[in-house]
Amino acid sequence: MPPSPSAPPPNPIPPDGGWGWVVVGASFISIGFSYAFPKAITVFFKDIQQIFNTTYSEIAWISSIMLAVMYAGGPISSILVNNYGSRPVVILGGLLCCVAMILASFSTSVIQLYLTVGFLGGLGLAFNLQPALTIIGKYFYRKRPMANGLAMTGSPVFLSTLAPFNQYLFNTYGWKGSFLILGGIFLHACVGGSLMRPVDLKEHTSQSKNTIAAKEDSGIKKASKASTIGKINKYLDFTLFKHRGFLIYLSGNVIMFLGFFAPVIFLAPYAKDRGVSEYYAAALLSVMAFVDMFARPIGGLIANSKLVRPRIQYFFSLAVMFNGVCHLLCPLADSYTALVVYAIFFGYGFGSVSSVLFETLMDLVGAARFSSAVGLVTIVECAPVLLGPPLAGKLVDITGDYKYMYLASGAIVVTASIWLLIGNAINYRLLAKERKKEKGRRKRSASPSKETEPLSKSKHEELSVEVSKVHSIPSEKGREKERESNI
Amino acid sequence: MSSLSGLRALRALGAPGHPLLLLCLLSMMRSSLADGNLTGSPFTSLRLREEMLAKYSNLSSVIHNISLTEHSSVPVEKNITLERPSVMELQCQFTTSGDLNLVNVTWKKGDELLENNYPVNITGNTFYTQYMFTIINSKQMGSYSCFFGEEKELRGTFNIKVPKVHGKNKPLITYVGDSTVLKCECQDCLPLNWTWYSSNGSVQVPIDVHTNDKYVINGSYANETRLKIKHLLEEDGRSYWCSAAFQLGESEEHIELVVLSFLVPLKPFLAIIAEVILLVVIILLCEVYTHKKKKDSDDGKEFEQIEQLKSDDSNGIENNAPRHRKNESANQ
Repeated sequence: MPPSPSAPPPNPIPPDGGWGWVVVGASFISIGFSYAFPKAITVFFKDIQQIFNTTYSEIAWISSIMLAVMYAGGPISSILVNNYGSRPVVILGGLLCCVAMILASFSTSVIQLYLTVGFLGGLGLAFNLQPALTIIGKYFYRKRPMANGLAMTGSPVFLSTLAPFNQYLFNTYGWKGSFLILGGIFLHACVGGSLMRPVDLKEHTSQSKNTIAAKEDSGIKKASKASTIGKINKYLDFTLFKHRGFLIYLSGNVIMFLGFFAPVIFLAPYAKDRGVSEYYAAALLSVMAFVDMFARPIGGLIANSKLVRPRIQYFFSLAVMFNGVCHLLCPLADSYTALVVYAIFFGYGFGSVSSVLFETLMDLVGAARFSSAVGLVTIVECAPVLLGPPLAGKLVDITGDYKYMYLASGAIVVTASIWLLIGNAINYRLLAKERKKEKGRRKRSASPSKETEPLSKSKHEELSVEVSKVHSIPSEKGREKERESNI
Repeated sequence: MSSLSGLRALRALGAPGHPLLLLCLLSMMRSSLADGNLTGSPFTSLRLREEMLAKYSNLSSVIHNISLTEHSSVPVEKNITLERPSVMELQCQFTTSGDLNLVNVTWKKGDELLENNYPVNITGNTFYTQYMFTIINSKQMGSYSCFFGEEKELRGTFNIKVPKVHGKNKPLITYVGDSTVLKCECQDCLPLNWTWYSSNGSVQVPIDVHTNDKYVINGSYANETRLKIKHLLEEDGRSYWCSAAFQLGESEEHIELVVLSFLVPLKPFLAIIAEVILLVVIILLCEVYTHKKKKDSDDGKEFEQIEQLKSDDSNGIENNAPRHRKNESANQ
């Protein structure tokens, strides 16, 4: 049975290869910067704290502000991508980050660092993250999970290279020079952005047989433009909040992120608390990052296989459950080797979840609405991502033992996975029912117009061999019905 | 040994609040000295006096112990940090299976042999010896060793030093026109005084705080000192020494300050910008080039298609299917 994902393939069928792999490389760079930089910059904190004469928690706010703005800037990024495409937004993001770091090198107070690195830098990273994810959906369909997995590998690779590189820069140029040079490094995101060519739509619009469909398509667009809600939805698709799959994904992820990042942040302090030396505690994080690096492409490969792709939501839920179980079992680790084993399993779980994190969203809402979806998802996820670690820290302070924090995180993550499993099982079943109805309806509508239909149908059979027939879009009638089935 | 027992008696009498009693004993001891009854030497009386001084001013007593066996091949060392004048009691014990009566024990300070009237105690297989003295100034600091001589000499060393001061291991990198803060701290100790020097090569020049406001020395707590240097110039990039003065000596640490001009990181930055601009231009040019190529070939193909469609339309729709499919596969 060919893979039948929840959402139909995009209207111009993606090329699935060729220049697409170059775009994956460009996304690798953008995603790498977005996720790795807020963590890698913590290398400077200890020394900056002394220079600016502040407490460590005040300096750590820089990272939190950066992450918060990166997530909150999602909708702005989505609106820009919806209107201008990925390339200009990524180039703008790279320039913003560069300017932010250059300004930061001249700053004289912590507040200025908050504004430059935190706010401006976070915005630039937001303009990098969303378009990079969106353009993968435009270039890939059959191999999309693989492409997503490979692109998400950017995060651990950049983290393992940026962290020691930052240390080297600091030892050679001090913090001012380091920020200046990092500004230059950020410009490579612009290089990546210039590689993100918009997908060529000419082949489809130039064919005369499709002009009829195109005209009718533009007719629908004009109708929706008239209403203001339609206008807003053109910029940022708020109708997604009526989308069943989207809501399941959003709710599950919000629960998951509450307990997702805290174990990473507290791994080194937990190890030190158990009596492990500082160097070996840091080595645990390196082990985790190393396993993460390989888990992401492997996760992408597994998700792309014929067996898993139709049930990719289950794969995601199971990966989340794997993470949760790891955290629940962590307090049992009583020796350094046991902690290393935990780090390996955790790294694998973290990588698996991250590799399909956005692929599952694409799978649910389809590539066309993905850019709006990812913007809305990130701004809502902003809250649990930021609240999770401080809450976990408070839990540690109250109970005095890291064990309870791990148990709590594990429980939260397992709950999220069960929620996702049940929700997606229901969703899959309902989608299958809707597809059957759709098939029946189309068969009935196909009988009166036998002369015109077979041509267009056979043409699309050629184009979409591996996509099930139901998802081919021969006429505007079918398109409307597709939209309905997903709401 | 008898002097020591006398000292012990003094200690037993105890409180420094008995000056009269002490004076009485002192005079007694002096008289007995004159008689030559004590086996001690002038060194002993000196030690006695120091002991009493110590008791009087309520000094702390520090006791340290080293254990040696006949199998100890590596010289055993113990590091002791002292801040204030104290009464030191160094104990060595030696365990052997051989005949303990043959063991010859000596105490040395560095290479200098110390007086041989230290108490020795033999219990079972273990040989105990002890050396007591007072440390008042820096001259008494150093390495004290106990030697057990048989066939081979076994040695245990007590290294008595002032506490170490911590600065920064790595050089501090700053830029021209900046101000920076150099920090020295001493953990768990309280120096009497901190001094800062700057050195260019071997000459140490103390830092003048009063000439202009370029240098400001202040410490938040007494175990920490900070030197703030404003309006940095390139000549300011040298070694700075912070020195902590204790009653028993001084402890130093040096911090390296590097002052760079802003051009230093600017060069790699401009190089990176140049590289990025080059890459972007190459990529965009490549794209324009392939776009042109495609357009030319596409225009050609479109022309062919339009011609075919014109001829197809005249033939009828049914015949279109196979030819149209062929066109599609060619375009893909």
